[in-house]
Amino acid sequence: MLDLRLPSGLFFAITGIALMVYGIVDSSRAPLTAANVNLYAGGVMTAFGVILLLLARRGSKA
Amino acid sequence: MKLATIDYAILILYFSFVIGIGWRLRKSVTSAGDFLTAGHKVPLWITSLAFLAANLGAQEVVGMCASGAKYGIMTAHFYWIGAVPAMLFVGVFMMPFYYGSRARSVPEYLKLRFDEKTRGLNAVAFAIMTLFSSGISMYALGRMFQLVLGWSFDASVLLSAVIVLVYTYLGGLRSAIYNEVLQFFLIVIGFSPLSILAVQRAGGWTGLQQKLPDVMTHTWKYIGASNQNPMGVEAFGLFAGLGFVLSFGYWCTDFLVVQRAMAAENMSDARRTPLLAAFPKMIMPFIVIVPGIAALALTKSGGGYSLPMKGNGYDYDQALTTLMAQFYPSGMLGVGLTALMASFMSGMAGNVTAFNTVFTYDIYQGYIRPKASDSHYLMVGRLTTVVGIALSIATAYLATHFNNIMDFLQLIFGFVNAPLFATFLLGMFWKRTTGHGAFSGLLAGTCAAAATYGLTLAEDKGGWIANLHSFPSTMAQNFWIAIFAWSTCFIVTIAVSMVTKPRADSELRGLVYGLTDVPREDGINWYQRPVPLALVVCAALIVLNLLFL
Repeated sequence: MLDLRLPSGLFFAITGIALMVYGIVDSSRAPLTAANVNLYAGGVMTAFGVILLLLARRGSKA
Repeated sequence: MKLATIDYAILILYFSFVIGIGWRLRKSVTSAGDFLTAGHKVPLWITSLAFLAANLGAQEVVGMCASGAKYGIMTAHFYWIGAVPAMLFVGVFMMPFYYGSRARSVPEYLKLRFDEKTRGLNAVAFAIMTLFSSGISMYALGRMFQLVLGWSFDASVLLSAVIVLVYTYLGGLRSAIYNEVLQFFLIVIGFSPLSILAVQRAGGWTGLQQKLPDVMTHTWKYIGASNQNPMGVEAFGLFAGLGFVLSFGYWCTDFLVVQRAMAAENMSDARRTPLLAAFPKMIMPFIVIVPGIAALALTKSGGGYSLPMKGNGYDYDQALTTLMAQFYPSGMLGVGLTALMASFMSGMAGNVTAFNTVFTYDIYQGYIRPKASDSHYLMVGRLTTVVGIALSIATAYLATHFNNIMDFLQLIFGFVNAPLFATFLLGMFWKRTTGHGAFSGLLAGTCAAAATYGLTLAEDKGGWIANLHSFPSTMAQNFWIAIFAWSTCFIVTIAVSMVTKPRADSELRGLVYGLTDVPREDGINWYQRPVPLALVVCAALIVLNLLFL
């Protein structure tokens, strides 16, 4: 049976990394905030994705 | 709003994952039971999040942000009063009968407990209602993407319908549930930054309090009289209408959500599903309602953002998307829009999977072909999925003329769902209740709802028979429709049950309180038992309400 943590983790890790890279490369900002939203949100997403992948790995060993 | 390549890339990535999950799960479907009930093999954390996410569709995310801007933090009552207590009740008290009876659907429980006609009435009403909700999801999606991105209405409706069709057709209920969980993560991750950024821009919570009238940042202070708050409701209507009748009617009897708990591996997990779901449910207002409040504060204080206008007032339904356009750069914007699209689609998928189960088991197997092979019902289940989505598309094109999706859905709830909880309450906890009683109670309750709507007026709605009373808002009217429907059903069910013949105790084992073995809890940690878990939720709920009193 498919472990849902695997595809979810993969999706957020890929999206998160893409956002972080885009946040570093692209200097444009949203009209109402000076924060680099892509970089921070991408970081959180990547961390979440990696945690899910680690949990999936631990789950498959058990 | 203009999308960059990266935004489209994220949207496409999400679609491929959604379809990929369906594709990987196709092998897990070998029987009608796998397809329609996920074979009772879904892990607890997934059923819990799906229980929550199945309800997190279009009306939720967009409507709640709109209501936040319109009514303020009082909107949180829809979660704290209007959902959590009912979720605790269904987990602690009702799940033993649903799961224990081995019924495959809520209408089937009604058949086991009462009789064929009660099941038939409920199954047909529910089937129509799910198609309606699914169609409204599609309509809202098409309209929103047309408005925000300039996409063609037909193209967005068809694209989302095809994707939902592919993954539900391949993996059935399990696929729908898995994708609901993915969508839930996406909603939280895609919308919490918006809440943080908008509130920060408005000067934090204290900034919101300074910029807005006091009523917008308090949940209870102005609930004493209906003319003091923008919702136009008073405490009794709120507690009895929303907190009791509508909320229990939805969370405790609506097969769409109950189906998620019934997919759990065992009784203990089924009971804990709604209880664990209550924790994230309590927090959701901060993600979906608070951005709306911040939108209003920014508009009033000239913070560089203003809510779009519609006629003489604000177009609240656009609050969420216009905020995203102002606070999200390309990239994050793609995540936000994907989250929105995902919530629309899983709203659809939830309805479709509930519809195909009820149609296949309760209508087709019940009345059309009772004794066919399992593979035949699997085929019918798959076919129903296709037909259900086609009918939803048809409904999407019919869904017009209603200014607020939320109000409209509640009108339907009032007519069909509100009396239902009286039937279940009596059926599960009073063994004397009879099938004739339940059936006539339901009919009478629905008639009472329609009559209340016909005899009262609110914001030019209702009153098609006569106008005996005017409500300050349609929300107040909906709450009172529900109260009348429930009370009528309750009284008529008891009255008719008293004069009709009850079933023997031996036939009601596992179906009624007092004739059912209480699930054993020996050797289970206290934090895994339903009652202590429910008490922890209650304590957290009280703290939240005190914080935003």
